[in-house]
Amino acid sequence: MTRLNLTQARMNRRSALTGLLAISASGALAACGNGAGAGQTAAESIDLLRYAKPTKFFSDAEIKALSAIADTIIPTTDTPGAVAAGVPDVIQGLASEWGDDNFRQYWREGLRRVYKSLSGETKFVAMSAQEREAVLGAYDAKVYGGETEDGFYRDMKKTVATAYYMSEPGATEELAYEPVPGEWIGQAPISKYPKTWAT
Amino acid sequence: MADFDVIVVGSGMSGGWVAKELTEKGFKVAVIERGRELDPVEDYTDMMDPWQMEHLNMTGPAMRARYPVMSDYYAFHSYTKQFWADEIDHPYETADGTDYSWRRGYHVGGRSIMWARQSYRMSEIDFEANAKDGTAPDWPVRYADLSSWYDRVESFIGVSGNDDGLDILPSGGMYQPPHDMTAGELFFKSKVEERWPTRKVIIGRAANLTQPTEEQIALGRGQCQARNHCFRGCSFGAYFSSNSATLPAAEKTGNLTLMADTAVHAVTYDPDTNRATGIRGVNTRTKEPVEVTARVVFMNASTINTAAILLNSKSQAMPNGLANSSGHVGRNLHGHAGKALAGGIIAGFEDIHYYGRRPNGFYIPRYRNHTEPGDGYLRGFGFQGNVERLGWGSRIDQRGVGQAFKDSIRKPGAYSAFLVSFSEMLPRYENHVRLHDTKRDKWGFPIPVMDVKNSDNEINSVRQAARDAVEMLEAAGATDIWSNNSPDLMPHAPGDGIHEMGTCRMGDDPTTSVLNKWNQSHDVPNLFATDGSFMASSACQNPSLTYMAFSARAADHAAKLMKDGVI
Repeated sequence: MTRLNLTQARMNRRSALTGLLAISASGALAACGNGAGAGQTAAESIDLLRYAKPTKFFSDAEIKALSAIADTIIPTTDTPGAVAAGVPDVIQGLASEWGDDNFRQYWREGLRRVYKSLSGETKFVAMSAQEREAVLGAYDAKVYGGETEDGFYRDMKKTVATAYYMSEPGATEELAYEPVPGEWIGQAPISKYPKTWAT
Repeated sequence: MADFDVIVVGSGMSGGWVAKELTEKGFKVAVIERGRELDPVEDYTDMMDPWQMEHLNMTGPAMRARYPVMSDYYAFHSYTKQFWADEIDHPYETADGTDYSWRRGYHVGGRSIMWARQSYRMSEIDFEANAKDGTAPDWPVRYADLSSWYDRVESFIGVSGNDDGLDILPSGGMYQPPHDMTAGELFFKSKVEERWPTRKVIIGRAANLTQPTEEQIALGRGQCQARNHCFRGCSFGAYFSSNSATLPAAEKTGNLTLMADTAVHAVTYDPDTNRATGIRGVNTRTKEPVEVTARVVFMNASTINTAAILLNSKSQAMPNGLANSSGHVGRNLHGHAGKALAGGIIAGFEDIHYYGRRPNGFYIPRYRNHTEPGDGYLRGFGFQGNVERLGWGSRIDQRGVGQAFKDSIRKPGAYSAFLVSFSEMLPRYENHVRLHDTKRDKWGFPIPVMDVKNSDNEINSVRQAARDAVEMLEAAGATDIWSNNSPDLMPHAPGDGIHEMGTCRMGDDPTTSVLNKWNQSHDVPNLFATDGSFMASSACQNPSLTYMAFSARAADHAAKLMKDGVI
């Protein structure tokens, strides 16, 4: 995965992004091919694809869970966090308007599973911000430490982060954004430009 | 009396040049373009901010189905898709056991809108190559025939770069100021050139205006704003396209007629005079037939379509298609084989960042079978690349949540090197495009069938490029090196390099070539082709500058012949 990321990094940012998310979509297809199998009842299958409202795939409860996770990955600090930047709406849009059934099933199943593993006696949404960070941080460390394999979690994290860094607050407040730089300066002091460029 | 002096079939990189040169000489020119006219306000998306892009600008399942070949290309996304041919309306097939990635756009300006703007001359070494190794008939020209035309084109389109003084990649004397290299690139350059003194890491020569001339400003073009949104179209006209430069220049003369939405199906021909008489085709919106006549016809429809139109221009006198007594129309389809990919982290330079987005990178000209031997193949390859800091996109799939995660991404990433190769593909007779026997597009034109394979030459060249890329990264002390280097590495599908060419090659012998040294048909003297179809070999550098130089040269020759009453 590191290899793919570095490959993408060296394309321009836009294509890197396209590539990244293309991988996440193909991951979704692969995961679905394995997951939606013989063990699933027709009712379960319908449930996994049901739109909560005519134009909204995720239910309010799902959005609440997703928001809690997104805002723990990227909380409000000295700059807005994922929820303030509108990340859950973007993911609702992806599932409702952009993705296909494979994508929707992958996300609903994945979100339910991750949420369940983050919740104990206290549901994840009911935890304090500190508790959430401890619980999610521990899960994240297991995934990236190689102890737990969870491709969906990584896809979700990448999508949350992408939606954040492409948002107006993510690009202009958290990172540095110049729509029209006017010139290219190949070498400039980091003290003058201390942040990652948004594009 | 013909409708026009000249018909130019196609408005892209080369057609725009023919139109400019001939209208400026006073000829009445019709540029016939199958695609639509672009409206910069509607079609250029270069002013959009990231948060205005729907669905994170991801290519979704529906778009992938509509654009199965285009959608995996680096310059394709939701906000550039208007520049790429709709693959349902414009189908093609490939022969059994072959694959072909045909990347193209149908609109006024053609691929000049979404080209990567890399502008390199061919060298004497390239023009001599066919004669020296006997792969294909000799080029009927040498560098000296082209150098003044390269000067003319570079000066008009505006190319930024350095006069690097290299025999393998000759330079002009009128470049606009070059883009800076990053700190990581200067370091990489020093290490590579120290280890291999005849390999050179130079800044790319890019058709982006870094210091516009009065001529360019008068055409409404402005200085490059370092946004690197070129593939979305440029509202500043800061990179060269037909739309920003040659067509406006042609229009200023009052001698240009642009016929968009008109697909040419055949070049018409009079056997009594042995002259092309014009074109017939169809209005793509109304499907009404269109006929236009002219004294001279230039084919600039891009190599596959130019060959397809000529093959479809059959008559009793020319049963194999127009200008095809050699049987080479549609043959020798080649281009550039890719691609070795490699990269790695170049540690250091933490205190040096950069500002702006450079629409360019570095270039490593060919050295194999030139200053260093090649291992099992003829000709060679060049590399494009850069050393820039890892952006957020490549660092989000890493451990961490919360403030620490945000902070690690806010801080600029390490310098990361990236290299991609383009190998010269040899022209071979068996690699060709033909017309489908029965299938037609929705306007009734036979769909093209590509039958092209890479040979051991391309395979061995790409494999050595991958090995070399890794070695150069190692020489620069890179860490975390990744690559597609493998003893089993295979080139991408033909066409993937987007530089297809060769279907009407030039040469002195009318039995083995379609065009003479003036891009003029051996068979039909008032028929010319100056898109990639004339190429007798591909060299390994990006070809657009060469297409433009040959276009200007052929237009000048045609003008002389018209004035002398020869055609």
